[in-house]
Amino acid sequence: MTTYQFFTTAWTWNSIVLLLSAVAVLGYFFTFGKRGRPLYFVGAVVVFLFALISPFSALANGYLFSAHMVQHILLVLIVPALLVLSLPQSFSLRSPSTHPLIGWIAGVGAMWLWHAPTLCNAAATSRTVSAIQTTSLLIMGTLFWWQLLAPREEQRLSPLAGIIYLFTACTACSVLGIILTFAPVSICPVYQHPVDRLGMLSTIRGDWGLTSDRDQQIGGLLMWVPMCAIYATAILAQLARWHSSPQPEQSNA
Amino acid sequence: MNGTTTIEEFKEAVLDPAKRRHYQLAWLSTVDHKRIGVLYMLTGLVFFIVGGVEALFIRLQLAVPNNHLLHPDTFNKLFTLHGTTMIFLVAMPLLFGFVNYVLPLQIGARDMAFPRLNAFGFWCQPFGGILLHFSILAGGAPAVGWFSYAPLSETPYSSTPGIDYWAIAIFVLGLGTISFAVNTITTVISCRGPGMTMRRLPLFTWMNFINSFLILIALPVLNAGLAMLLIDRQLEGHFFLPFRGGSAVLWQHIFWAFGHPEVYIVVLPAFGMISEMIPVFSRKPIFGYEFVAASTVAIVVLSSLVWGHHMFTVGMGRPMDLFFIITSMLIAIPTGVKVLNWSATMFGGRVRFDVPMLFCIAFLIQFTFAGLTGVSHASAALDWQTKNSYYLVAHFHFVFVGAIVFAMLGALPYWFPKMSGRMMSESLGRWTFWLWVIGFNMTFIIQHVLGLYGMPRRIFTYPDIPGWGWMNMLSTIGVFFMGAGSLVLLWNIAHSFFRGRVAGDNPWNAWTLEWATTSPPPHENFVALPPIHSRRPLWDIANPDRPDPVVGDDQVILPDHNKTGILAFIFSEVGFFGTLILAYLYFYAHPQAGPGPKGLDVPRTLIFSVCLFASSFTFWRSEVALTKQRRGSMLGWLGLTIALGGVFLLGQVNEYWKLFQTGVDLSTNMFSTTFFTLTGFHGLHVLIGLIVLLIFLWLAWEGDFASSRPGSAFKAAGYYWHFVDVVWVFVLLTVYILPLMR
Repeated sequence: MTTYQFFTTAWTWNSIVLLLSAVAVLGYFFTFGKRGRPLYFVGAVVVFLFALISPFSALANGYLFSAHMVQHILLVLIVPALLVLSLPQSFSLRSPSTHPLIGWIAGVGAMWLWHAPTLCNAAATSRTVSAIQTTSLLIMGTLFWWQLLAPREEQRLSPLAGIIYLFTACTACSVLGIILTFAPVSICPVYQHPVDRLGMLSTIRGDWGLTSDRDQQIGGLLMWVPMCAIYATAILAQLARWHSSPQPEQSNA
Repeated sequence: MNGTTTIEEFKEAVLDPAKRRHYQLAWLSTVDHKRIGVLYMLTGLVFFIVGGVEALFIRLQLAVPNNHLLHPDTFNKLFTLHGTTMIFLVAMPLLFGFVNYVLPLQIGARDMAFPRLNAFGFWCQPFGGILLHFSILAGGAPAVGWFSYAPLSETPYSSTPGIDYWAIAIFVLGLGTISFAVNTITTVISCRGPGMTMRRLPLFTWMNFINSFLILIALPVLNAGLAMLLIDRQLEGHFFLPFRGGSAVLWQHIFWAFGHPEVYIVVLPAFGMISEMIPVFSRKPIFGYEFVAASTVAIVVLSSLVWGHHMFTVGMGRPMDLFFIITSMLIAIPTGVKVLNWSATMFGGRVRFDVPMLFCIAFLIQFTFAGLTGVSHASAALDWQTKNSYYLVAHFHFVFVGAIVFAMLGALPYWFPKMSGRMMSESLGRWTFWLWVIGFNMTFIIQHVLGLYGMPRRIFTYPDIPGWGWMNMLSTIGVFFMGAGSLVLLWNIAHSFFRGRVAGDNPWNAWTLEWATTSPPPHENFVALPPIHSRRPLWDIANPDRPDPVVGDDQVILPDHNKTGILAFIFSEVGFFGTLILAYLYFYAHPQAGPGPKGLDVPRTLIFSVCLFASSFTFWRSEVALTKQRRGSMLGWLGLTIALGGVFLLGQVNEYWKLFQTGVDLSTNMFSTTFFTLTGFHGLHVLIGLIVLLIFLWLAWEGDFASSRPGSAFKAAGYYWHFVDVVWVFVLLTVYILPLMR
């Protein structure tokens, strides 16, 4: 299969995903109506669909570790952030799962847990595990971002605490990224010898020049650098919030 | 009169034995941040002369083709010493001296948070400097460059003790720097005056506060690397020896993971100086305070992600190159934001061209140029061509001299009046300025061209290739201009110190707090602080009819300094142990023949680990007993904590002993090298923790905690103890548990 053929045909029209998205959009408008911020919600659904039905998903599904990492980042960082942002101001959550420590562990754990070789392999081969993974990433990502983007100001961390929260998360994910980048062994052995379901392997290894070593390196670098760039952007947003807030500073050092 | 020194007083202080002893003691044992600041700067100045003379010899050797003024080996030693001296013994102490003097004044503090730690940090500087240069007498200075690339720095290739002195000296300097950063962070968080909220910090203070975090990120990584290098050289480890299974590239990663942030560690204080001076001499508040402040944070985060651009020529592979190209280019954005803000501050202002401002303007132009050549190095393809040429030498001298040294040359006449009570001479200052501008640009602009013509760096001489001769000669002539400028500067300092015009409290009509006290300030810094509601308190006093807008709330929250300090220290330790654990994992992934993690006695280690973890619990009980003022119970639990820690250490000794008996020691293979290093450093930390706890036990025994003294120091020691336990969780998981899962 050539690159062109691949990008035109390898869309995974997964009926469950499409159905769930449609239900979610209807549910959102039914529950919040005009009170919410629908653009963010639509954005979340679009990114979600892109991660799960675009050719990236086909690549992540057993071909390329790096494509899996793109999917992973979208599902754990981008989609949940947009989801939380789409909630109306009146929305509030009162449960122990909104403790900052839980949020931090969820955000960082989502990275580490699903890159344990066994789990990573299982998620790339079994559809059930993959569905569990997707769901858990969305939940853990939401718990992570809740601390910073909750609709009500009083439910968010203070900006300075938020910076510490983000910086430590960035460090924890960088360490994993560094390990993935430099590891001489395959973290997710499935991707070393993919089952060539779509007849794409020769194109990937040949035309794209992505050997399995290089693939894992790119995956590690994706977790290390662009993820940290996302956290860094969030840190700058916290600083902007701090400088624009009229209320007393809260030092959490 | 006004605290200034006259030449008669100085003579008396030197000649009268009683007074001389008084001043010697007063300066050598000082814990006052102002005196320590001056000592830092004097140390920097002395080594500036040393490093400058080294540079002079380098340029003399390179002035003409086929020169044999210096022996090749001497040349290598000189450029190693020059680089190490200028970075660790000139730039850092000089900048830290300014910070030490000015920062507490700017936030209305009486002193740094930990004055004695401050003195310790300072005395590390001359000690490290002397260690480094003592290597010349001790059998051969290091001759491997300031980056000390392995395996050249290893015993088989550099057998003289020069590298050992180099590594120990840098380690000592690193400890001093870390203690300085811990102190700075704690001072800013816990010692601000009333009304000085974090949002109102002057930019010099803010940037040095943020910069201190960068120090705590970067320096421990270098210290871990130096420890590995010393273990290789002294204990026959193999970290960086490829033929024994080590990795020379690992050293480069470790060194540049420190080395690139280091550039920002020395440039951010310079940025802070510029951000103070440009508004004052433009008679305008800084343009976009928030952007200048926030871009500093962006620089700190990004600068930890770009070190790979120092290694494009190593051959890291295309994906790595690509990512490091992108991050390296990204960092130009926050830096560019700063340059634009400084320029915009000058725009439309009533600019006064006093000497400090002249240096600021030269800084802006030269730093922008350095930034542009820097961006060109971010491109791997171009970097491959220019990396090992004089183009790179020119680039980083534009950063270090054109930006950092120029900022300091401007900051000296700016803050000298505050330190001495007297103004520096304007006319002599202009001489220094023009001699430096001409000399610096003459020396280094042409080196860009030389580099593009193909002249490699780190060579002691070169053949008579057309064009190279006159360009090198021009470059060498420039050095004499800079040398002359420096002599004028030294004369200016000495002359102005005794004869300069009396400055008064606020000679520049500046707006930050250091100008609200006398020049020089009294021992306790301020008699009374002015009210603070904005970022320019002195402007508000001078212009009560049109004060600056109030920034945020007046309420200042000051966390306990003991806890803040220990948390900052723990933050640095994370980097140290993180590096050791990553190095362990790196070699764990390449198993060698011989002993391995499978041979370890996991059940026994688990038992001893339980003792260590239990000691965290007993410490907590002891803390509770202290709060409830139950002395007996507190002593009991603390004693038990120490006993449990001791049992853990004995377990480790036992484990080592058994390994030694089966013939496994540090030099056996990569596993044993990394294993003993990682667990050994953890054991060392347990030992230090035990000593600290024993001191507390003794104090408590003596009844020191019986009265109303708060237990914050005790809690801080507890933080450290818990941290040591947490580190063991990670060591246990990586060293003992991970192999079981294979």
